Amino acid sequence: MSTSERFIALTLAWAVAGAALAGEASPERTPAHKTSLESAPAHKTSLDQAPAHKTSLESAPAHKTSLDQAPAHKTSLESAPAHWLERMNRALTTRNYDGTFSHWHGGRVEMLRIIHRVQDGTVSERLASLDGSGREFIRAGPSLTCYLPDKRTVLVEQRPPQESLVGFPAVNDQTASFYDIREVNRTRLNRRNTHVITVSPKDEYRYGYRLWIDDSTAMPLKTQLCDRRGHVIEQIVFASLTLPAHIPDSAFKSDVSTAGFQWLRNESGPPAPTAATLAWNAMRLPPGFRMAARSAQTLPGSADPVDHLVFTDGLASVSVFVEAQRREQADQPAVPESAALGSSSAFSTVIDGHKITAVGEVPPDTVRFIASQLKAEEPPAVSSRRH
Amino acid sequence: MNEELDSQLSAMFDDELAPGECELLARRLSRDEQLKARWGRYAVIGAAIRSERGVRLNAALAGRVSAVILAEPALAAAHGAHRAAVRWWQPLAGAAVAVGVALVSVLWLRAQVPFAGAPRNAHLTATASVPAAAVVAAAAAGAPDSYVVPRAPAVRAMVPSTELANYVVAHSVFSSPVARRNLLSAFMTSESGTAAEEPPDEPQGNVH
Repeated sequence: MSTSERFIALTLAWAVAGAALAGEASPERTPAHKTSLESAPAHKTSLDQAPAHKTSLESAPAHKTSLDQAPAHKTSLESAPAHWLERMNRALTTRNYDGTFSHWHGGRVEMLRIIHRVQDGTVSERLASLDGSGREFIRAGPSLTCYLPDKRTVLVEQRPPQESLVGFPAVNDQTASFYDIREVNRTRLNRRNTHVITVSPKDEYRYGYRLWIDDSTAMPLKTQLCDRRGHVIEQIVFASLTLPAHIPDSAFKSDVSTAGFQWLRNESGPPAPTAATLAWNAMRLPPGFRMAARSAQTLPGSADPVDHLVFTDGLASVSVFVEAQRREQADQPAVPESAALGSSSAFSTVIDGHKITAVGEVPPDTVRFIASQLKAEEPPAVSSRRH
Repeated sequence: MNEELDSQLSAMFDDELAPGECELLARRLSRDEQLKARWGRYAVIGAAIRSERGVRLNAALAGRVSAVILAEPALAAAHGAHRAAVRWWQPLAGAAVAVGVALVSVLWLRAQVPFAGAPRNAHLTATASVPAAAVVAAAAAGAPDSYVVPRAPAVRAMVPSTELANYVVAHSVFSSPVARRNLLSAFMTSESGTAAEEPPDEPQGNVH
């Protein structure tokens, strides 16, 4: 990229950030000159009120946690690239943070804000689009709420309380055999020391990552999702990030006005197991993938039970949802369908009168392969368990 | 056409031809019909390639672009080839915009300050990659047809159906932290995002 292109790119990024954060469309008003290290108290919670770009990691004393206070010396294991992935995963799932980032995919840039809190073992998370869609995703313990203003719909899904985000999936030796994990550089990014870790897939069934991981906090300040050839297909870059010790409950309340919205819930809980329930398994899987979880559940807005199977290689995961075809659908020809959601893929087909849908952050061929390999077997002993 | 001329044409597209040689080649282009045709073909092919990536031709020219591409299988293949290959053509297309005005007499670059979301590559090639002499020639040519540099066509993020939204939310619980953030960010993404054909560089100075 030439110097002028880099300038334009930076201008673009700042223009987007400025418009999103300042609520103005003018590209001239960029927030770059507004950086103030101490001006943003951590308890600023409203998306409209919180000038996330006025904060800094250094100005937030709350981020002085055990990760920062770790001994300066590092063993060879601790400095291994895979260890940085583990540290990053741990930081993302166990720390409190509040950040604004740009999300680039398919030629589009959008600013989002993420607030994450772990308090008394309960994970709360809020992810909101700061640009046009106004969509929000809020997790409060086992409750997942998705606000879709463009569809005037709110989805509310209750997950089993024992289900935890922490530590799943996990990088292990098997994972390492399907990815090449390296530290390729140590560089400064936004005045922070970062380790540049590349996770390169060894085949076409999965994507890779290039990660700029903050040396002191292990937070990924920049993330690129890459195909096997290393081409960037999705990128996330933090424009601001704080790690406050305390984030109030009000930070996890949606700004979306839901008057007149349709609310779809699944609060009835997982369906009771029945002897007639079929057990679905994959006859074959891409190399390295294994079934990691299986559950039966109902989804918001549907009374029909759905089998949810999860396959993972330790980094990438694919969910397969199996539901009996409704009577009105049974007469329709089974036409496989593909869809894309960012870099994630979805594929749906019909097998033995059941609609099979695979979703995952993997290439389209992978979800298609896994979905087409599903087959009903003998009923399981239990209907909900983890492997 | 001999290899030397071809090489010079290529260099001119890449803005790597010395100004003196550029002037000589421009003179030769004005009287060499074969060379002129070659140059014109480069122009429309380059524009067509850019069209896919954010620049739209007017309807009449688009038809000619299609005809040219169909007549040139190798270039048609290049049209769908690797991103780097497309990038190689970008300076070519940019120079083609300007010189094509004089030689093909169909293009005129609309003088407008690009909005932040405008396809910056198109703007850059018109302002940075095109030899100054060519720009002057373009202005003098009268510019009979218009060459529109619109915003990049939206690569539409699929608006999720409620069913897919359910699946995505349920799946996100089992994704790795980074993958989950990517997935949910994509889920949040609307069609209002600003066009940027390449990942933007990180905004500097805001994360400390």
